[in-house]
Amino acid sequence: MQQVNRVRRMAAVVLAAGLMASGCGLSGGGQAPAAGPADGQVTGTISFQTWNLRAKYSDYFNGVIKKFQVEHPGTTITWLDQPADGYADKLSADASANALPDVVNLSPDLAFPLYQRKLLVDLDQAVPDAVKEYLPGAWQGFVMPGQRDSYSFPWYLNTGPVFYNKKLFADNGLDPAKPPRTYTELRDQALVLAAKSQGAVAMFGQTPGIEDFGLYGVELMNPQGTKFTFNSAKGVELTELFKQMYDVKALLPEALTATYTGSGKKFMAQQVALSSGSAYDLKNFKTDAPGLYANIGITTPMTNTGKANMYLQGVSVSANSKNKATALAFARYVTNAENQLAFAKIVTIFPSTTGTLNDPYFTTDDGTDDARVRVAAAKQLATAVNYTPVSFTDQMKSILRNELANVMLGKSTAQQALDSAVAQCNKLLAA
Amino acid sequence: MTPWLFLLPGLLVTLLFTVYPFVNTAVLSFTDAKVLGGGAFTGLANFSKMLDDPLFWVALRNSALYVVGVVPFLVILPLLLALLVQRHIFGMAFFRAAFFTPVVASIVVISLIWTWLLDSRGLVNNVLSVLHVISSPIPFLTDQTLLLISAMLVTIWRGLGYYMIVYLAALANVPRELHEAAEVDGAGAVRRFFSVTVPIIRPTMVLVGALSAVAAFRVFSEVYLLSGTSGGPAGQDTTLVMLIRQVGTGLSGNAGYASALSLVLFALTLGLLLVTLRLNRSDS
Repeated sequence: MQQVNRVRRMAAVVLAAGLMASGCGLSGGGQAPAAGPADGQVTGTISFQTWNLRAKYSDYFNGVIKKFQVEHPGTTITWLDQPADGYADKLSADASANALPDVVNLSPDLAFPLYQRKLLVDLDQAVPDAVKEYLPGAWQGFVMPGQRDSYSFPWYLNTGPVFYNKKLFADNGLDPAKPPRTYTELRDQALVLAAKSQGAVAMFGQTPGIEDFGLYGVELMNPQGTKFTFNSAKGVELTELFKQMYDVKALLPEALTATYTGSGKKFMAQQVALSSGSAYDLKNFKTDAPGLYANIGITTPMTNTGKANMYLQGVSVSANSKNKATALAFARYVTNAENQLAFAKIVTIFPSTTGTLNDPYFTTDDGTDDARVRVAAAKQLATAVNYTPVSFTDQMKSILRNELANVMLGKSTAQQALDSAVAQCNKLLAA
Repeated sequence: MTPWLFLLPGLLVTLLFTVYPFVNTAVLSFTDAKVLGGGAFTGLANFSKMLDDPLFWVALRNSALYVVGVVPFLVILPLLLALLVQRHIFGMAFFRAAFFTPVVASIVVISLIWTWLLDSRGLVNNVLSVLHVISSPIPFLTDQTLLLISAMLVTIWRGLGYYMIVYLAALANVPRELHEAAEVDGAGAVRRFFSVTVPIIRPTMVLVGALSAVAAFRVFSEVYLLSGTSGGPAGQDTTLVMLIRQVGTGLSGNAGYASALSLVLFALTLGLLLVTLRLNRSDS
């Protein structure tokens, strides 16, 4: 009996210890740092984390780091690079442990939850003069909902032309010289193509994402950024355009489950006639799908707002950095005009600094496809917008995709599906 | 003291990497904690939320269906395969190795190969179409039911080699004399299989059943990869582990709810295991 009691006591101690230890998990992360300008000397050691860039661009980054260290004696930059997969998980582990790198590469959707936990430096407060150095659309891309301040230095941008397969267009009753410029034209041409090919060729490979709703002119959120509103009549209209395409097999069946990369692969396999893309994709077509490349058509993105979509990356500074002045100086240095231009010349991305897009590299069309896409994209970026709200998480993207799949399968109407998606997303936003 | 010191390294590892995470998960399941920390005690809120969450029921249904669809095949087919390859015939080693290959192959590679095969414009549909067996592609990967069946097929195909090895070990322990005695008594091959082999390897069959049931209930990779990470059309092929990943990862992940789901998965898996072992005991 005594032995049983001893075992019970021991189990209780272990459980209590576990509970106490696990209780620590409840209070981790989210330490509120001080806001305001970050004064202090640019000196000391800081860490700089990039997202899957070491493998191809280590020479460039080592050069930038070395130059900064020479210009700022007494500084040491420790460069960390994380693989593409699981980046968000790595960030959340770092953030929970209050060990976020001093300078960290983030996209707007990754910056938002960190901002919510007060883990990023408010740049409009810390470096008020920085805003004028960047394109307004890019700076705005890291302004958080209901705020006026930005939490990341805009870094590299991308925007897409729309690629289409001229041969598939010509073979299936469409004019290769007149690709669709709006979603309505996309639907009209898709119906022709599907009828002519008897469903053998699809026009498009995915259901609309949140950025398509933005491009269509749908108000995605209320001005305060506290509620999603894409279940409006305009949102329903766009959904119904896609439903019409799905019904005649102008959308691939895989559209119900496809992600952006999956849809792009179908375009490369010449199973779909049209795909959104970026200047970066052109290189892939050249090497991985030469048959497609020979027939590639390039046109401007479909938009009802006159503004193209923009994808952007930024560089943020951890609010818990012990060398905030150095971190801010380095983040600004990495994203300054000179360094961004040099980076843009070795990889197909675009700079976010004011005036850099006027460099002859982005304005001179030498007749090659690469230059044509580059010049067109650079022109587009002057007014482009990041339509995806920063608070639209991956889980919300899944919800939207699932609800749209229900519409395509005839299980719900467009209005029902969007109402449901908005309700679910609002619930997550409020949580 | 000395025995405790000997135990200490293993005990520490177990406490740190098994007991602590388990207890932490149990505690978090009663909170509204997010991945980035924080969270307050919310009692049974996560569990009542689960009851109202349609995706939880979808995931539970799919995981349960997976057990029903996969386990009988993984108990019987590898046994038949083991019976085939246990004979000492020239070249049999090649077949043993061939059947075992999917076990050591990466699940990502396997899923990619099956995706290419089963895609609406993949090899299987193209061959059937050329042979005029079908007029429109079979939606293996875009139909809710067919996608789940396709994933089950991959699981079965992949598990065959592993459980075949388990059965080969069990078959090696069946005394030859029993077979010889039965043969003398006039029993044919089928009779000998059911009256001699099966009773002796029954514990192994229960073990295979229990292991494959637990693995099937926790299925993730096959469905995740074949559905292009989406959980099938409208997410209707999401399994419990996929749901846990969906709600619990990313910077906005809901650690509290994901922990509650994990706890339920643990309880169900444990229940499944106990039922299987209980069945075995009552059979004996």
